[in-house]
Amino acid sequence: MEKTIDQICSDALRELGTAKSKESLNAVSLKYLSRKGIVTQFLRNISQLPPEERPNAGKRANETKKILEKAIEDAINSLGAETPDTDDSIDVSLPGRASLPGSIHPITQITRQICDIFTRMGFEIAEGPEVESDYYNFEALNIPKYHPARDMQDTFYVSDNIVLRTHTSPIQVRVMEKRKPPVKVIAPGKVYRSDSDITHTPMFHQIEGLMVGENISFGNLKGILTNFVHLMFDEKTSLRFRPSFFPFTEPSAEVDILCVMCRGKGCRVCSQTGWLEVLGAGMVHPAVFENVGYNTSRITGFAFGMGVERITMLKYGIDDIRKFFENDLRFLRQF
Amino acid sequence: MKVSLSWLKDYVSIETDIHDLASALTMAGLEVESIAKPFDYLEKVVVGRIIEIKPHPNAGKLKICQVDAGDRILQVVCGAPNAEDNLVAPLALPGTVLPDGPLLTKCEIRGEISEGMLCSEKELELGEDGSGIMVLPDNLRAGSNIASAMNLSDYVLEIGLTPNRSDCLSIIGIAREIAALQKSRIKYPDISPPVKSKEIFDFTSVTIEAPEHCPRYTAGLVKDINVAPSPFWLRKRLLSIGQRPINNIVDITNFIMLECGQPLHAFDFDLLEGSRIVVRTATKGETFTTIDRKERILDPDMLMICDGKKPVAIAGVMGGLNSEIVNSTKRVLIESAYFNPLSIRKTSKKIGLSTEASYRFERGIDPDGTVRALVRAASLMTDMGKGKSIKGIIDQYPLIQKKETIELGISATGKVLGTELDKNTIRSLLESIEFKVKNSGPDTIKVTPPSFRVDITRPVDLMEEAARLYGYNRIPASLPLMQSETTQPLKALVIREKIKDIMTGLSFTEAVNYSFISESSCARLNLSSDDPKRRLLHLLNPLTEEQNVMRTSLVPGLLETMHRNLSQQVRNLKFFETGKIFLSKGNESLPEEIEMAAGLMTGGRYSQTWYEKDAECDFYDIKGVVEGLLAGLDIENIRFTKIPVELCCYTRYGYTAKIIAGNETIGIVGEVHPEVHHNFDLKQKAFIFELNCSTLLALSDQDITARLLPKFPASTRDISIITDKSIEAMYILEKINSIGEKLIENTHLFDIFEGASVPAGKRSVSIRITYRSSEKTLEDGEVNNIHKRITDRLSMEFGASLPA
Repeated sequence: MEKTIDQICSDALRELGTAKSKESLNAVSLKYLSRKGIVTQFLRNISQLPPEERPNAGKRANETKKILEKAIEDAINSLGAETPDTDDSIDVSLPGRASLPGSIHPITQITRQICDIFTRMGFEIAEGPEVESDYYNFEALNIPKYHPARDMQDTFYVSDNIVLRTHTSPIQVRVMEKRKPPVKVIAPGKVYRSDSDITHTPMFHQIEGLMVGENISFGNLKGILTNFVHLMFDEKTSLRFRPSFFPFTEPSAEVDILCVMCRGKGCRVCSQTGWLEVLGAGMVHPAVFENVGYNTSRITGFAFGMGVERITMLKYGIDDIRKFFENDLRFLRQF
Repeated sequence: MKVSLSWLKDYVSIETDIHDLASALTMAGLEVESIAKPFDYLEKVVVGRIIEIKPHPNAGKLKICQVDAGDRILQVVCGAPNAEDNLVAPLALPGTVLPDGPLLTKCEIRGEISEGMLCSEKELELGEDGSGIMVLPDNLRAGSNIASAMNLSDYVLEIGLTPNRSDCLSIIGIAREIAALQKSRIKYPDISPPVKSKEIFDFTSVTIEAPEHCPRYTAGLVKDINVAPSPFWLRKRLLSIGQRPINNIVDITNFIMLECGQPLHAFDFDLLEGSRIVVRTATKGETFTTIDRKERILDPDMLMICDGKKPVAIAGVMGGLNSEIVNSTKRVLIESAYFNPLSIRKTSKKIGLSTEASYRFERGIDPDGTVRALVRAASLMTDMGKGKSIKGIIDQYPLIQKKETIELGISATGKVLGTELDKNTIRSLLESIEFKVKNSGPDTIKVTPPSFRVDITRPVDLMEEAARLYGYNRIPASLPLMQSETTQPLKALVIREKIKDIMTGLSFTEAVNYSFISESSCARLNLSSDDPKRRLLHLLNPLTEEQNVMRTSLVPGLLETMHRNLSQQVRNLKFFETGKIFLSKGNESLPEEIEMAAGLMTGGRYSQTWYEKDAECDFYDIKGVVEGLLAGLDIENIRFTKIPVELCCYTRYGYTAKIIAGNETIGIVGEVHPEVHHNFDLKQKAFIFELNCSTLLALSDQDITARLLPKFPASTRDISIITDKSIEAMYILEKINSIGEKLIENTHLFDIFEGASVPAGKRSVSIRITYRSSEKTLEDGEVNNIHKRITDRLSMEFGASLPA
């Protein structure tokens, strides 16, 4: 005896109830609703029923078909939300079609950080030529020809009067020549000295700072540099100021920071002293002011300079300065 | 400057620990760079006494000694002629490493065991005598360490002096600073004033012909000298700070220089013709042989010390071989002079010779110190050299060096330092280093610095002295009152940083290459003889020939960078660099400095991936990078045009484009020329671009005005045109745009096809045209009509065209 359409419906619903995967749901759908499926066959065979049963059976069969279609769809939808679809899933662990960014050179990164700190403190950025006249590189900075202080910097000469700048200090002079005080500038750039070993390269980068106005004091120099060091390293990095000599500043100071590696205990990096020399600084020498036509009785100011490579090496733990200019991609990609 | 602790203690009592002393000096501006124990290498050398000696059975010249080493008797094979019974001598035990010597071990010498080495003073670097073993005082206890037995235990401080502190180029100078820091007193050596006598004028005279070079010349004479090795205490002093003892006379001059900073020179008086001294400048081309046996060519600027006939020393730099102290010297003329620092500096630079003496003279010695140094030297020579002083001295002082008095404002000092120091504080600080201070007003003092402080000339110099002795670290840090006005950031800097950010976004890594390159780079880049990049700025003193000119292009640096990376097996490279190039305008003027941005790409387009087959990058990759960079800089209307073969030097002809914005050439992009690949030893193709940053700056510095977005939809139509391959695609797009159809919003090339369906020598170029009206939605028919017009125009122009 053939099953009634209602029996077929309840069978199908029961089977759907036990089907837990998309695969088995599809099998149920195939079994009942496909071209050769049971419901389809039932509809096809209606013509063989007695004429009085036909209308009702046809109506019931079509209803059943709709009920099952809806039930299967619902079951598939709810399946998708509950269990992963193993069938056409992708390997999400494969690398993406990335276009990875390149790296900014570590010297540029640290230069940016330093400049950011000072511009936040109100300094402007100035630049100047890398090939300089003897006047701007030395004379105007109170370093006359044959002054022993010229020995402090091994100079590359183009001719007697043209040099590769040995420091960014000439920018001080160029800025002050053009501007009336107050002046607050920092001047980053490449500088050149004829020296080459594990701690020296013939080209390196400096950042010069200058703050000139009325009532600018050595105490202010200490304040600004302390602020800078605390922002560049951290608040625990203390500073010490040691008397020193630069022809263009008086009083002059070397600025040491507490060794960032050993925190003052003494290590290889700080040669067991606990301190690292990172900045040269001082009050602008009156001779420099005289050279740019500033009134030395009213105007005072400070200047400082630092080597970017040195700070970068400390920040990133790099021990050979020459690495910066070898441009080994494997080195640069770390930063 | 090296100073030994024991020597310092001759002038100042030091109770503090050596490390505290070093730190106090450092914080006063005399940076202690190292603390060493100079005779550390003698750690395993003990006092030995020979108690038995017999000939070596297998070697005629050697002896076998039984040596009492205190706690044991050791057998030592020794070849010294003076080895004899009961002799006390230094015994180096196994484990000793003598200067310039190997590690000493117990060994067998010609079949006999030797358990140590009896040493000469030369072997121990305690003197010059290497003729036999060093004879030690008989009273030393066998087995005791030689350094302690002979009072050699010491500390040596190496002080990095700044060029202004010439007053500290002596033990006394450092002792003076220590006394000031300790608030104690310095004890100067006892020197009696010179005997007033004219006797010396019976023997000699001094004539200064060039007083501006030689403001002061003091001389003395000692006769009946016996030149001999110095006594041990003197040798020890010199050795402890690394000075080689020579003989008593020379050692005394060195000792005085180290003690008080006054360089002295000793002449063999009997070798001075005319028995006199003439101080004059050299004549041009004159030659002179210095005691190092080198012939020097002189210059009219150079100051010479001469006798009655000829030069005998280059003043302040080095003496002459012709008047050197030798073992037979009997009479010595001692020179103690003050030379003009600039004069000595120039001479020293010109002849390329820097000595302990010239180093001090060029930094400025104490002009008032010549007499004391001379008297002290003469008295040591009479003591040690068993000589007799000729009475009296000669002191020619034609140009008196006056020390100016400086007025110092007390409140001005506080203003500069940023802390209030009262008058008494400042006064006592300055007085502690022998400055003379007088009250000159309620807020001022008058200060006369001592003659040895040649660096003090202005009030700020006094402020520094006060501040450093007070202690920089006691000055409170304070923030200045900020001025609030500011200016626009530097445009060159802004665009440079933007370029860096865009380039890294495009996967390029920033390189920083040296600004100097090799002169040969021009040839390696195939530059033509009139290329502006041949305007090289040469360095007079390059470190190497590889770095002898300033770069005129960033390309050589990038190619070198590529080469270095390839040699490390890193072959997929994307590098960029920004920086200046330098075009010479002659060596007497500053060059033209032009900031450039350049990039290099080589190797695979992607590093081997699962989704893309390995593909080598090509021209269109680097061109795409340039397009991306320029788009990022908001530079529009860029064209890329072919460069004629004669202008392609380091890029390959046919694979190079000039980059044009508006009417201006802003750079080039292309494949590196095969010959250049070869010249730089590059095993794979590289692609480069170069852009001039200042032109980029001008182009990118435009105000942006926002456009309204279109209200009506666009319609697109495609067209394919078959043309000769030689016709540039850009030409077709320009043709379409030149028609001037207002409704064309955009043209976009989306396909290039060559192959079976296209005749040989031709290609099909497919272009999508976007039509849009700002006023209405375009009807299909309307678009079709316009598109047909354009298609017809193009087929007229190019022969064949067909709708895609």
